[in-house]
Amino acid sequence: MMRFFRLYKTFVVQQLKQLMEYRVDFLTGATSFLVGQITNIVFISIIFSQIPHLQGFDYYEIIFIYGFSLVPKGIDHLFTDNLWKVAWFIVRKGNFDKYLTRPINPLLHVIMETLQFDALGELLTGIVLMIIASIKLGINYRFGNVALMLLAFAFGTVIYAAIKIAGAALALWIKSSGSILQVFYMSSDFAKYPVTIYNSAVRNIITYIVPFAFTAYYPASYILRGNDPWFCFGVGTAIAAVLLTLAILLWNRGLRAYESAGS
Amino acid sequence: MKWIGHVKRVYGGFTRAGAQGAMAYKFNFLGFFVGESLYCFVMYFIWKAVFEASGESIFMGFTITDMTLYVFLANIVGFLTNTDSTQMLAEEIREGNIIMRMIKPVNVDMSLLATEIGDKVVMSAFIFLPVMIGVEIYRYFALGYVAFNILMFLGFVVSVILSYILAFYLNLIFGYLAFWLMNIWGFSILKGSIIKFFSGSLIPLAFFPDIVGKIFEQLPFASMVYTPVMIYMGKLQGMDLLLAFGKQIIWIIVFIAIAKLIWRWAEKRLAVQGG
Repeated sequence: MMRFFRLYKTFVVQQLKQLMEYRVDFLTGATSFLVGQITNIVFISIIFSQIPHLQGFDYYEIIFIYGFSLVPKGIDHLFTDNLWKVAWFIVRKGNFDKYLTRPINPLLHVIMETLQFDALGELLTGIVLMIIASIKLGINYRFGNVALMLLAFAFGTVIYAAIKIAGAALALWIKSSGSILQVFYMSSDFAKYPVTIYNSAVRNIITYIVPFAFTAYYPASYILRGNDPWFCFGVGTAIAAVLLTLAILLWNRGLRAYESAGS
Repeated sequence: MKWIGHVKRVYGGFTRAGAQGAMAYKFNFLGFFVGESLYCFVMYFIWKAVFEASGESIFMGFTITDMTLYVFLANIVGFLTNTDSTQMLAEEIREGNIIMRMIKPVNVDMSLLATEIGDKVVMSAFIFLPVMIGVEIYRYFALGYVAFNILMFLGFVVSVILSYILAFYLNLIFGYLAFWLMNIWGFSILKGSIIKFFSGSLIPLAFFPDIVGKIFEQLPFASMVYTPVMIYMGKLQGMDLLLAFGKQIIWIIVFIAIAKLIWRWAEKRLAVQGG
């Protein structure tokens, strides 16, 4: 474990050097994600210029849920972005072999190799939106709900990471799984809005199968409305744990089935 | 008419290669398609909730049927006019392979375009037609009569082709940024968000405050999605229709000119890394 953190520190230092070298690129990346979020906020604002409530939620409550969804997404984006590269091209181009030749767990190696600072654009937007919404709504933060919120950020991040690990693992069989992963990842769009606007089929899918609803709506609804905490946080934690276990099992099976694409 | 034979002989090969590539990467193809459909359903449910909340059957001049049509059409147009040329070009520039296009007796933009057209033909057959039929069936059941208009449809097809050429050159110019920047990927995300917003993919331009909407309609982005969709829905007629086509063509000329200028500049100064 100590060895892992020592190695991670070395990798992070390398990443920071790279960041200093390519400052313009970092600014571009972070700005891109920021602009993407701003356009969505404009979208929500235009809708709310015409209606007072959406399924019983007012403007700032929707903004709160939206901001909430960006936090676990951003944290995951910051730490595990390299999984995308595995899914898209690292395996296909035959560059995956290097992870197998090093004396460290390949999954940890893949993850620690990249710290994607672009994610700060998403993460900071999320935090700012949550702060603004909290002030406007007068949300009362106590030790209890802050602790639960942090727990939700943690299992939300795990849900994102698990889906990315599973998606990247598929590349170990089929060489390039980026687009499959993209489909699952994109379904997180559903999670940015109250799940009550969807029909029951969509609601069940994003609650139990691709459980993105637990990365934002359910925990946020506890903070806003005091919805059943056992479901919002207990089931959320359990689902995240199960999903991560399955993802790692799949990844390990993939490693055993892996044949290099290189020449 | 000898040049037609020449173009066909020279660029036909690129087109066939593009079509074969599209068939070979079926998973990618399917993946993006499912992803885009999911996004459409998210938007559909949001608009449905908005209509329910407003309690009226017409929201800013759109009925719920209009809105559903709009969401699916805007995304299929966005999907069809989306090109990989930025990524392709950026990768070639970074790895130095761009030289392979420069030493061949072909136009860089034409060869890229020809490769992509192959890809688009396959995509139109497998994705565009089924979606179109689905949309029309939905419209029939929602309205109770066949609203399909062959003239509007033809206008739409012409407009989509113009949109595609416009998008292609815009992406090409973004791809050329790789001459200066490493993080083209970040830029692509930025470009994607900007296009989605200003082209009317996210929100119909008619929903913006009056003056803002009018300004957005003049920008090249509107010509990429909003124009063909509004034509299909029959909301642009007569003079407005001709004006819309004119705007599309003007923007295409402007973008081709910019792309040519950058390319001429690059050809003189390019120092390829690696070999």
